Amino acid sequence: MKLYQVRKGQFVYFNNELHKVYGVKPMYKLSIHLIKLRDLSQHITNAVSVEKYTPKELDSFIFNHKAYTLRKDRNAEAGDYILINNPMPDSLDTYSLNEIDLVETADNKGVITSNSHGVKHNEYLLMVPGRAAGSNPIDYKDKEYTEDEGLTDIGTLGMTSSELLPSLGDIYKKKDTDSLLEAMVIAIKEQTVYLGGGIEVTPEELLNTEKWEFLYNLLDK
Amino acid sequence: MDSKNNKGHSVFIISLLLTLIFIVWGVFFTDNLTKVTDIIYNGSIDYLGWVYLGAALFFVIFSIYLLFSKYGDIRLGKKTDRPDFNTASWLAMLFGAGMGIGIVYWSVAEPVTHYTTPPYGEGYTIDAANTAMKYTFFHWGFDPWAIYTVIGLALAFFQYNKRLPAAISSAFHPILGDRIYGPIGKTIDILSIFATVFGIATSLGLGAMQVTAGMHEIFGVPNELFVQLIVIVVATVLFIISINTGLEKGIQYLSNAAMILSFAIMLMILIVGPTMTIIKVFFNTTGLYISDFIHMSLRLKPFGEGEWIASWTLFYWAWWIAWAPFVGMFIARVSKGRTIREFVIGVLIVPTLGTCLWMSIFGGAALELVQNTGNHDLAENITENVSLAIFTFFDYLPLSSVLSILGFAVVAIYYITVADTATFVLGMLSEGGTLNPSNKIKMTWGVIQSALAAVLLLAGGLNVLQTASIAAALPFALIMVVMCFSLVKGLKSEVEVHRGNKRSSYPS
Repeated sequence: MKLYQVRKGQFVYFNNELHKVYGVKPMYKLSIHLIKLRDLSQHITNAVSVEKYTPKELDSFIFNHKAYTLRKDRNAEAGDYILINNPMPDSLDTYSLNEIDLVETADNKGVITSNSHGVKHNEYLLMVPGRAAGSNPIDYKDKEYTEDEGLTDIGTLGMTSSELLPSLGDIYKKKDTDSLLEAMVIAIKEQTVYLGGGIEVTPEELLNTEKWEFLYNLLDK
Repeated sequence: MDSKNNKGHSVFIISLLLTLIFIVWGVFFTDNLTKVTDIIYNGSIDYLGWVYLGAALFFVIFSIYLLFSKYGDIRLGKKTDRPDFNTASWLAMLFGAGMGIGIVYWSVAEPVTHYTTPPYGEGYTIDAANTAMKYTFFHWGFDPWAIYTVIGLALAFFQYNKRLPAAISSAFHPILGDRIYGPIGKTIDILSIFATVFGIATSLGLGAMQVTAGMHEIFGVPNELFVQLIVIVVATVLFIISINTGLEKGIQYLSNAAMILSFAIMLMILIVGPTMTIIKVFFNTTGLYISDFIHMSLRLKPFGEGEWIASWTLFYWAWWIAWAPFVGMFIARVSKGRTIREFVIGVLIVPTLGTCLWMSIFGGAALELVQNTGNHDLAENITENVSLAIFTFFDYLPLSSVLSILGFAVVAIYYITVADTATFVLGMLSEGGTLNPSNKIKMTWGVIQSALAAVLLLAGGLNVLQTASIAAALPFALIMVVMCFSLVKGLKSEVEVHRGNKRSSYPS
């Protein structure tokens, strides 16, 4: 008998691709909520269909359209992304396994991330942008069945590192112009984002913080 | 950066020295300590009472103002942040952190003690029973939760929205600016640590008494000071191991277990106890509490002896305030992503209802026992052995051994989780608000807080515990009043930023 012990935060393969478990709802038939690391899309499945993978040093994978290699040859500094692969939270900490966080400040004891998590240096792996030579790509469980672009870095589209993909109701302000221009995302069709006022842009352009500034979402209070 | 590091160090050293001096005083000059605390205790009745009463009422009014103010929509954290915990577990955690050991300790003892010696009127009467429940609601109702609301909100707001360190001094940034990193900020942090250590030591002292009483009831261990000290030592060793071995996750599971167990006990008593009486008590006392709230909040006895008020109301207010940096830090950590309106409802309104329900169940059932059966001996027995009260009460209910074991488990778990979390909070506060306090400093505080609890028990038990928190919390009460104004100033600037962003899209 195979016992399925799926926990929140685990990296798993589902349909041959690398996903992260972001929630487990026991009692449901489809109890495993996944997020595909490559494009942050959400999926739901059951425990039988996933296979656990424990990320380690020198593994490389695509997270949010950008390739990263896991390293621990130096401590993280402000601006680095970290993967909390060995969480040992203090009694008031709220982070959990394999959270990916942006470092805000670092000192000799640990780092503080932009989500106000205090993480010690032995709890994380550094996510260095790009695939290092000799790294072990872990995006696919079985590399031979990868049909399309495979392991090439599809993150060269000029995406910013922002985790915020445009969504309906987002209000943006144009920055590279002197006149005031603010518009809301009213439709998204494949690679085109339609803003009010008849503006059409690509998501990459909209996420470029030099051109557009995200103000708030209409649904946010 | 250097100045911030130095700040961490000097705050730690000075507050440690202050506490150590107090401990040495307690160990070598026990009589003197008892005498001085007595003087402070009596002085507090005459001179400090109004400060505490005024401050506590002010915090309630201030929290309600925040609930209805235009600041209600501000989110704690980034606009895109969402809560880390679902609402039900969030509320359970708040409730557990805020009341913890105390609610188990006092829920039977307090109503029964008030029933025998009411603040006014005759003891052992129906009126006394109603007054007893009313005052129990009062002491555990809006006031403590308003104190936690103020400090939790200030800590969360300045930590998440203004990106300042997780120290009490950060809440003064709108008033002091960068001087929060200077001597004024340090003084604030030292006073807050001093109050916190005493608040925690009081809880640990009560907890040790309660754990010993539980062992006495279940295993027949003698209910003596000596055993209480052993409990403290064992617990200290346990949580120091947990700090060093990364068993903190286990502590979190334990604290969830304690929460579930306490709800289980509450439900069991509601079912096996006098259910109808409990429901009537809940409704009736809620009415009395609301209608007499102002009178109780400002009640002092200018032309008589204020003994009762000092040993109950003032003690509670001081204890809540001394306990507040600890609970506030916890509440802030679990509340990221909530809006201020949600926060106030979750920290002020819901837990108040929860505590009132809890008190109705335990107090109502206990009062039914002593009032309807006219069992005055039982009432006296409970009053004289406060730490045994809850177990004495269980003896009169069906399933008493199950209840006793569950009760003991809850108290023991609360004790260890509170002690463990307290070391983390003290570490953060004394290292300039870092989220990564070092293990050495955490262990130092672990030993110190246990030592202080032991010294206070040695010096005279409950009375000294109460007096020490009344004295230690006073400066911090004043700090908290100023903090409210600082918080409003900070919130105002946040609203202006929001409005500045929105104006062009919504011309009003």
